[in-house]
Amino acid sequence: MATTVRIPVKDGLVAPWMDWERRCPDGRRLLEAGTYALTEGAIAAGCRVFAGYPITPATDIAEYMSRRLPQVNGYYMQCEDELAGMHACAGASLGGLKAMTATSGPGYTLMHDAYGWALTNEIPLVVVDAMRVGPISGITGAPGQGEFYVARYCTHGGNFETIVLSPSSVQEAFWLTIDAFNLSERFRTPVTILTDQVVSDMWEDLFIPGDYDALDFVVPRKHNLMMPFYPVGTAEIDVPPNLIGQGTGVCVSAYTHTEEGYDIEEMEAQWAQTYRLVNKVRHHRGELTRYEAMGLEDADVIAVAYGANARTVKTGVLEARRQGLRAGFVRPITLWPFIDELFERDAHYVVCELNYDGQLVREVQRAAPDKTKVHFMGKSAELHTVAEVVAGLEGVARRGRLPELPYIWTQVR
Amino acid sequence: MNRLAAKYLRPSQIPTKACHGCGIGMIENWLLQAIDELGLKQEDVIFGTGIGCVGRQTFATWGGDNFGATHGRALAVATGLKLAQPHKKYLIVVGDGDAASIGTSHLVHAARRNLGVTVICEDNMGYESTGGQFSPTTPAGYVTNSSPYGMVEPGFDPCDVVQAAGATFVAETTATQWHQTVKIVKKALQNDGFSFVHVRFPCNENFGAYALGTRDTLKNLEWIYEHTQGRKTDGSESDFTWQTGIRHDASNSKPEFTSLLRSMNAKVRAKMAEEAKGR
Repeated sequence: MATTVRIPVKDGLVAPWMDWERRCPDGRRLLEAGTYALTEGAIAAGCRVFAGYPITPATDIAEYMSRRLPQVNGYYMQCEDELAGMHACAGASLGGLKAMTATSGPGYTLMHDAYGWALTNEIPLVVVDAMRVGPISGITGAPGQGEFYVARYCTHGGNFETIVLSPSSVQEAFWLTIDAFNLSERFRTPVTILTDQVVSDMWEDLFIPGDYDALDFVVPRKHNLMMPFYPVGTAEIDVPPNLIGQGTGVCVSAYTHTEEGYDIEEMEAQWAQTYRLVNKVRHHRGELTRYEAMGLEDADVIAVAYGANARTVKTGVLEARRQGLRAGFVRPITLWPFIDELFERDAHYVVCELNYDGQLVREVQRAAPDKTKVHFMGKSAELHTVAEVVAGLEGVARRGRLPELPYIWTQVR
Repeated sequence: MNRLAAKYLRPSQIPTKACHGCGIGMIENWLLQAIDELGLKQEDVIFGTGIGCVGRQTFATWGGDNFGATHGRALAVATGLKLAQPHKKYLIVVGDGDAASIGTSHLVHAARRNLGVTVICEDNMGYESTGGQFSPTTPAGYVTNSSPYGMVEPGFDPCDVVQAAGATFVAETTATQWHQTVKIVKKALQNDGFSFVHVRFPCNENFGAYALGTRDTLKNLEWIYEHTQGRKTDGSESDFTWQTGIRHDASNSKPEFTSLLRSMNAKVRAKMAEEAKGR
């Protein structure tokens, strides 16, 4: 049953969109916000339904969608709450239309039941969670990274894997959204784009292809019209999603189900369903590799960050290198399934996260060869400054520990 | 096998898993009769359910496409599904807990939007699947497994709620009204808008046992009959009477929700085409 997949690690940006701009026949450059890029990426990927509820900082996505979807004969639906929105997206996807919703932490939590329903029934869809600082409503206009674990364990009951991606620039948000739709189709599962208030609201230059119909890297929607609707004993991907409306007799259930989709209370069915939900991701980790790395070959101290604060952290690493430190940088883009291989080098790691409780750092502690060499630089509501990052890297490189800095937490336990 | 079951149901899922004497199987037969008399084929209808007795005992009995949503969310799923598959008939068969407790928000908004679905709310006046706790439709003062001293909460009739929200077809029947229910469901299915049919039925196992003191099928059905007619078999008045029949029929008088979105899209795209020509 076990299939070992090893992810090769090298410097540079590893992601399928490396050559996508080159493959666009034409396009234009705009100065735009992350929310605009997330919206256009979805439309370019073929999204034709948005069902959600406005919430800062994702509201702009809802508003853009309300303008764009009718233009492409799609549907914008403003639901009574986030859980209705997510369920409606699952319904729309089941009916044959690619669907997306966008929210922040307070709404993402309300989507857990619906997320599980889509996950267990192998329904493709994309969810954007633009995180802000918490807990709970927190500060509306400040970034956070508090849903790192929540996005992995975004529904109850266990027995599943999730796919979670995180962009760190406006341009990357555009490509990554198309990638998220592609993965949701190929893996027949919801995909979370875990972003934050800064990436959502910031304005950067953005290349947009001219003709969305001419993109050869978009995975089109196909449908499975025959039994088995939920194949047992196989972890295959690229199985087309099921469709309601063609009279195939497909059943879509909340419970442990058979190949036909109706509920059954037997161990064999539970095992078979779980085998597929877990292993379709685990056995195909190679298809889910997206990261950025720098200086890994000779680094003594490696800074780790994702999303918005990865921008200032990377600049901090470059500055540290300029000052003579052998500093490296790792930015996971695929957050889940977690790429353990990125942390195999026996060096010090300085994990810079936008939370004070420490989440990404725990995964790095688990994956790194020596967890006593994994250091936590937690901050909340503001990005790590370049000066803080340099001070942190220096402290660890020269004295083996982080210096005391205001508003920075270094304790994980 | 009965003719309707052979035509519309999934052989591996019949007979129903419902308890002996429960009304769910019988009511489903009536729904099939209505569908059959309207000349609908299996592939014309999408069947959606939720959780609870009504959800679980009906889910997957339908031979065509069907879904069993999480508790209370069948209408939320149907709202999205109807966008993608607008020309099917939707039969959303849910219980009093699913529709009028946990799912009330979606019920209200689907009615408000005039979503083109037919909701059959089969009401056994309690959460019977979890052992017989009270629900928002349990009659006042009745003893249930979680109201051992008698139900103190005021209840409501979900028909009042959906009618206030804008439903275009609202009707009440009970498990002792076969022909009426079939006629009403046929009318409900012919409304291109939100139809709500509220069918009260007996639960012998739990409601019967705790509230009425008996699991006897006939006695439980008699209780339903008495409260439909307004008088007991000995001629005395029952403690309350249900109003039955069509309460509100504004069928096809308001545009169906998804058709509004399609019209809007057509206008937007026509305008875009004109502007493109002009350039």
